Amino acid sequence: MSELGRIGLVAARELRAERRHPDGVVAAITFVAVLVLLESLVVGPAVARDADVASALFWLALAFATILGTMRSFDRELEDDALEGLVALPGGRDALFGGKVLALSIVLALVAAVGGILSLVLLDLPLALPLHLVVVVVLGVIALPPVVVVNVVLALRLRARAALVPILALPVLVPQLVAATRGASAALSGDAVGALSWAGLLFAFAVVYSVLGLTIVPAAID
Amino acid sequence: METTLPRGTQMLRIRPWLGIAAAASFVVASVMALFWAPTDAVQGDVYRILYVHVPLAWLAYLAFVIVFLASVGWLWTKRPVFDAIAVASAEIGVLFTGLFLVAGSIWAKPTWGVWWTWEPRLVTTAIMFVMYVGYLLLRGLSTDFSRRATRAAVFGIIAVIDVPIVHLSVLWANSLHQLPTVLRAAGSPALDSSMLLTLMVSLGAYTLIYAYFMTARVSLEVGRQERLWTT
Repeated sequence: MSELGRIGLVAARELRAERRHPDGVVAAITFVAVLVLLESLVVGPAVARDADVASALFWLALAFATILGTMRSFDRELEDDALEGLVALPGGRDALFGGKVLALSIVLALVAAVGGILSLVLLDLPLALPLHLVVVVVLGVIALPPVVVVNVVLALRLRARAALVPILALPVLVPQLVAATRGASAALSGDAVGALSWAGLLFAFAVVYSVLGLTIVPAAID
Repeated sequence: METTLPRGTQMLRIRPWLGIAAAASFVVASVMALFWAPTDAVQGDVYRILYVHVPLAWLAYLAFVIVFLASVGWLWTKRPVFDAIAVASAEIGVLFTGLFLVAGSIWAKPTWGVWWTWEPRLVTTAIMFVMYVGYLLLRGLSTDFSRRATRAAVFGIIAVIDVPIVHLSVLWANSLHQLPTVLRAAGSPALDSSMLLTLMVSLGAYTLIYAYFMTARVSLEVGRQERLWTT
């Protein structure tokens, strides 16, 4: 079986597990929804409608949702003692990283769609360039998981893992979060060139961290 | 398990000389910075903190690049000395980045009127500091030697991406921080020749201090690793 085939297999297995026990995706969607609701309560509806503020809080919520979903995904593997079997297969380590990233990107796209619609409706956000916003969101949900999966793998089986993963992942995610926030804000306010420039940066980060992850993460899985 | 240093004897031999060279060059650099270098036409004497701030920034970058190289070395060869170099450089890098932030803050107050402002260079530097504190935390929470070294090496490789981001942030975003003065795309450094010489001497002195700290810390770590394998 080819490398891509193995990655697809792990991703399909991950998505099946998520469909059977959708606790990860439900927790992530609920988390994003709560943050969107809290946002307008905490900063006030006028500030919450600002494109920069709404975009920043949306992407921060998605970053935490990615961490939540990834940790839940690996917890499931550990609870079922499934990780050892997968890692022992030829090419299993690469497939584990690639499959998790692919599956999490799909799950995160669902979370982003629900959270995005909630933000647009509840905050009554102006939407100048819907297609540009879709491009930014799609590239954003591709750019976040590689970094988070790497860091969850590094913290696997460590005590204080729940605290350690955000400490490790969030500083590394800063460029992606800045690019996603600025890109979404540009799309909301009608700046097509700005939105596409930031989307390009998101794409570059997604490629860099995916390649880096596929290269060095297998070494970190024990 | 193989160790590449014969009980750190080579390092023990050069360390006193390195210490003397570091102390002497630090004294020379301090005298030049405080008394020899001319006063800046705009900032007055306040600018002299440049001779501490810039070398600290250079050492922070150097330390984290060494962490990266040593991390690659560990993953490639699995020689414990590379892990010793990585942890030593990370600890010293965190120390110098902390001092770099403090020195920057002290300089910012008289020139910008605030101790801290949310501008790209400051924020990316603070993020780099947090990142390597996370690196040390990751090491501290791992118990098994080989796993700890491997996990830390992977993070050390990922984290180095922040070093060029910190340096180039002043070019990429609207920044209150001044643009690079020495390593400029435009060509020659934008500094008076005596200021530049003082800065170069300071950079050399701080680099020797880093080298001295490194030999001391790597020796300690190699000794700790040897004790680990004999018990």
